[in-house]
Parts: sequence; C-alpha cells; structure tokens
Amino acid sequence: MKRLLIVDDEANIRLLYADELKDEGYEVVTAANVAEALQKIQEGTFDLAVLDIKLKNESGIELLQQLVKERHDMPTILCSAFSCYKDDFSAWLADGYVVKSGDLTELKQEIVRVLAKKGK
Amino acid sequence: MEWECCWNRAVIAPGECPHIQEDDTELLVAHERRILEKCCDCEMFLRDLKQFGESQHPLAAVVTLLHGDYQRKKNQIQSLASFLDTQTLQVRFLHELGSVLQSSVDLDEVLSVALTAITAGKGFGMNRAFLLLLNKERTVLVGHLAIGPRHMEEAWQVWEEISCNDMDLKTLAHNFRTNKLSAERAKFHDILEQMTIEVSRTDHILVKALSSKHTILIENAFHHPDVDPGFAALLGIDTFLLMPLVFHNRHIGVIIADNCITHRPITLNDMRSLETFSFPVAFAIERASLYDRLQVELSRVTEANTKLREQQELIVRMEKMALVGRITSSVAHSIRNPLMVIGGFARSMLKSTPEVDPKRTYIESIVTETAQIESVLDEILNYSDSLFPARDFWDINQVVESAIRDVQEMLLQKNGVCLFTPEPSLPLVYVDIKLISYCLRSLIISDCEGRENETVTIAAHLRDNYIQLTIADSGRVVTQEELEMLLTPFSMTYDMRGGLGLSLCRSMLERQGIPLIVVAPPEGGLTYTMTLPTIKEEQHEKTTDS
Repeated sequence: MKRLLIVDDEANIRLLYADELKDEGYEVVTAANVAEALQKIQEGTFDLAVLDIKLKNESGIELLQQLVKERHDMPTILCSAFSCYKDDFSAWLADGYVVKSGDLTELKQEIVRVLAKKGK
Repeated sequence: MEWECCWNRAVIAPGECPHIQEDDTELLVAHERRILEKCCDCEMFLRDLKQFGESQHPLAAVVTLLHGDYQRKKNQIQSLASFLDTQTLQVRFLHELGSVLQSSVDLDEVLSVALTAITAGKGFGMNRAFLLLLNKERTVLVGHLAIGPRHMEEAWQVWEEISCNDMDLKTLAHNFRTNKLSAERAKFHDILEQMTIEVSRTDHILVKALSSKHTILIENAFHHPDVDPGFAALLGIDTFLLMPLVFHNRHIGVIIADNCITHRPITLNDMRSLETFSFPVAFAIERASLYDRLQVELSRVTEANTKLREQQELIVRMEKMALVGRITSSVAHSIRNPLMVIGGFARSMLKSTPEVDPKRTYIESIVTETAQIESVLDEILNYSDSLFPARDFWDINQVVESAIRDVQEMLLQKNGVCLFTPEPSLPLVYVDIKLISYCLRSLIISDCEGRENETVTIAAHLRDNYIQLTIADSGRVVTQEELEMLLTPFSMTYDMRGGLGLSLCRSMLERQGIPLIVVAPPEGGLTYTMTLPTIKEEQHEKTTDS
C-alpha cells in the first residue's frame, strides 16, 4: 500500500483528503505544519507528499525546498487555492501542481501520474 | 569780348545750349545751376575761359585756377559717389544674405543660399563654387555640393534665364534648392566624389587654407608649388579662390570659387568681400548642423520619453493589477478552502447515499452549487492573472542594476563586488522580467556562494537582434566534472540556500527560448552567457524569412 503524507493547516481539509484517499487504497498520514511534517518524515518513509502552499504563518514552498534537498527521492505535489503559483519558479521543483477543489478527481489523477512517473 | 558760351546770359532760348536736353528746360532760366551743371564742362566755356585768360585781366589766372580745382573736386566727388553706390549695393546684398542665413536652420537652405550668393551676378559674381564640409569626426574634408555651369553654352543659358527673371537672392536660392539642388549634385558628382581629403594631409592646399583661416587666392595652379597637380586638373582652371569656413576655432569646411567660364581675374576686392561673407556662412552652417543634430537628439529623447511613459503606464497598471490580484487571491483563499471542504464532503456523502434517498437531491445541489462557485473563483483568478503580461520589452541595463541591488546585501556580507557598466543605446529586450531577474540574482549569488571577496562582472552587448548578457567570475577553478555537477539537477555539491540551482535557471530560460551557456576555462572562473531577444518571436520570424 502506498504511503502518502498530507500537509495542510486546515483540519477539515486534512480529514477530507484522508477519507477520500483512503477510499482510493492509500495509507494516509497527515500533518498540520512544517515541523509536524518533518517529524513524520523522519519517523517513516512516504511514497509521496501532498503539500499546501499556504500553511498559516509558514510556507509550503520552503518545506518543498527542504524536502527536495534532503529527500529528493520522495515526489511532491503542491496543492493550493492559488492557480498563480503554477507560474512561480519556486513551485517548479514540485512534481505536480493541483488547484484546490471540492472535486478531488484531479488530485487523485495527479497522484497516480506522479507515482507512475517515479516508478512507485 | 565775344563769348561763345551762354554763361553770361540769365535766360536763354531752347537750342542755344547744346547740352540742355528737352526734358531739362528749367535750366534755360536757372542761371546759376546752368553754369555749375553745364557751362563748367562745356567746350565753348573752356574756350571763353582761355580767351579771358589771355585778356591780361588780373582775375583771369585766379578764375582759371578755381575752375581747374572745381573740376578735380567734382571728379573726386563723382568717383566717391560711385564707390559709395557700389558699397551700398554690397551692404544691401550682405544684409539680405545675413537675414536669409540667420533666419534658416535648414542645412540645405543655408548651403543653397551660400553658393547662390557666391555665383549670383547680384552677389559676388563668381562663375562656379564648390563646397567641402568636414565629416562628423572632423577628420576628412568631403565634397558636398557645387554650383555653376560646366561649359559656356550652359553658362549663357543660365545667365539669360537669370536676366529674364529679376529675382532677389532669397528667391534665387529658393529656386536653386527646389529645382536644381539634386541636379547640381549629380552634375558635379564626378568632381565631388574625388574631393575627399584627410585633414592629416597638412601639405594639401585645402587643409592649409583651413588651418590658416584666411582666404587664399591661387594663381597659376598647374605650376603652383602648394597645389597638387591632380587637384588642379580636377578643377581644370589655374586661378581659384579658397575660402575656409571657420567658426569659433571650429573648422567647418572650405569653399572653392572660380571664374572657369569668363576667366575674369579675381581681385583683392573679391577676396575681401568673400572673406567678410565666410564668417556668417560658417556660422549658419554650424548652426544648421547643430540644429539637425538637436532634432535627432530630440527625436531620440521623445522616443525614449514615449517608451518611458509606456513603461510607467505598464508599471502603474501592473501595480493596480497586483493589488487587484492580492485582494482576489485573499478572497479566493478565504472562500476556496471552506468551499472545498463543503463540496468535498458533499461528494463523499453522495457516494454513500442510495439513489432512492430523498436527501440525495439536496446533496447533489450542494455539489453543483459549490462547483459553480469554484468555477466563478477560477474565472476571477484567471482574469487577474491574464492582466499581467508575462513577456514585455524591458531595458536590460535597468534589469541588471535592479538585480544587483537585490543581492547587494548578500554581496556586502561576503565582501563581494558586482561590476556592471550600462551600455548606452541598447535596444529593449523582450523577456519575462520576473524570470530574468530571478536567474540573474541566482547566478550572482551562485558566483559568490561559499567564497569571500568575489568579483562578478556583468556585461551586455548588442549582437544583431539579440543582447548578449554575460555574468563572469574569476575567483575559482571549476573542472569539467564540477561543471557537469553544477548543471545536474539537485546536485549535492550545490547549496540550495543560494537559490534553486543553475540547472533550474537553465531549464527556466530554455522554456522561454533563451539559451544559457556556461563556460569554465582551465585558467579559472565561470562565465554564463544568455542571449536575450530584442524583438518578439513573430517579428523575428518575419526578419528571418525576409
């Protein structure tokens, strides 16, 4: 079973992601902030991380840079309410980019695509 | 004594004095005037005077003496009056010439007036004139314009035409400029094109004339020690005048004038007159040239001002749009997250709600409505994004200076220096300013990463339709292996703190069609070269096609 890490500061969104992605057959672990995410990563391995860009007072982009530097074998998907981050060069480090939506079809497809691309 | 002349009669009848014309009958009764104006020059009076002189009258010798002196004075006065008339004409001509020259800033008009004045009968009456002007660098005298007939037949034709139309100097010059300027240039093209003399040839008579600042009359040119025989042969005449045009120690050019058709000798008076004339001509030519240059500079400034205004408008628009973008983004974020939760859970509930459950309709409505609001949000965000032009024309000097300012603090911390001398007159580059600024900052930071006292040199040069931008450092020796590691994404040797990596810069630039070349010579240093377009792709395609 593929292990996914979901990082989002909104509890309801973490719950929604967890429910939906578990239904798709993934093992889902969630984190509310950067520190918690890094701790979860240290504790175990993940096949993919889904990161929110705006994490209250923190930046998902900074977390992304850190992950690319330290765990560049772990693919990442950025998930944001802002479509404009697609054009932000910093966001180009991620393997995928999804604009937040109540319809999680696009996110699910992107997870499948990125995992397949990385051979996971 | 019997007198032949009528000087002793107060009134005479018509016909009695052969010197009084029919239209001057007043003299028949104006006794004193008749004596002074007619009798004193009359042969009969001279004979009467001689007879009186022989009469032994004590006053006879005195009267003869007074008459002789009167005649001399009268001749002197007539001569002076004639000289005065000539001078008056010349002053009038120079005044007319001065007014025309002073009122014009059009170089062609000034030259037309100057050469017309030299050759017009009402002017200095020379047959032919050549004008040579110094080039912009003031290193070469170049044949610019000529006026005059090339042979006798043409001369007669021109003079007859001028005599039939009594025109003032301004009209003559205007006619020359509108009707004959191009034709005269073409007519003398063969001579003018051979009149190219470098100012360094100090032995050439034209350069000597220019240096001396005095008009020189050349006689016997074919055997003159200072005149190049080839130059004399080119003019085809042995006597000519060289008139240097100098204004405030600034050399303007030389006028050559001659009488190649009439061969009338050139007098000292001609020389003096032309010398007087040369100063206003030089002044007018210099002023017209300066005015021309001023116009060019003005149009450049106007163009630059227009571009600046456009850029300012663009910046203002972008700032407004940025504000709109920030507001809409903030609203979108505030709305999208709860909307996503509502829509997402509604979808989850829908999946587990049986088809026959009456609540399903309500849940479906929630899904549809949230999807509708999400689509409106997308439209708003996409619209605000579309208001930002990704690529536009930018001044590369400003972009580089701005990037250097952005990394100045980091440079100071590392005692680093970034050298950049803006190159003037570079065309604008058509780029995504955010991308170029980001890459520039990354490359400068990369150069200084992990090293103290680094010097980074940036240069921008125009190459055809591109600006070549180079960023070079000289502080380290990078091996080929290390260079390859630098270009490899997420290379462990590369510290991510400084940016997202050289490979990322290269990939971002390549997406925009901008190649990034990195060279690491064995002697040390790294040089990044990016080639930035100065025209849009479609313009470039047209240029390439043509």
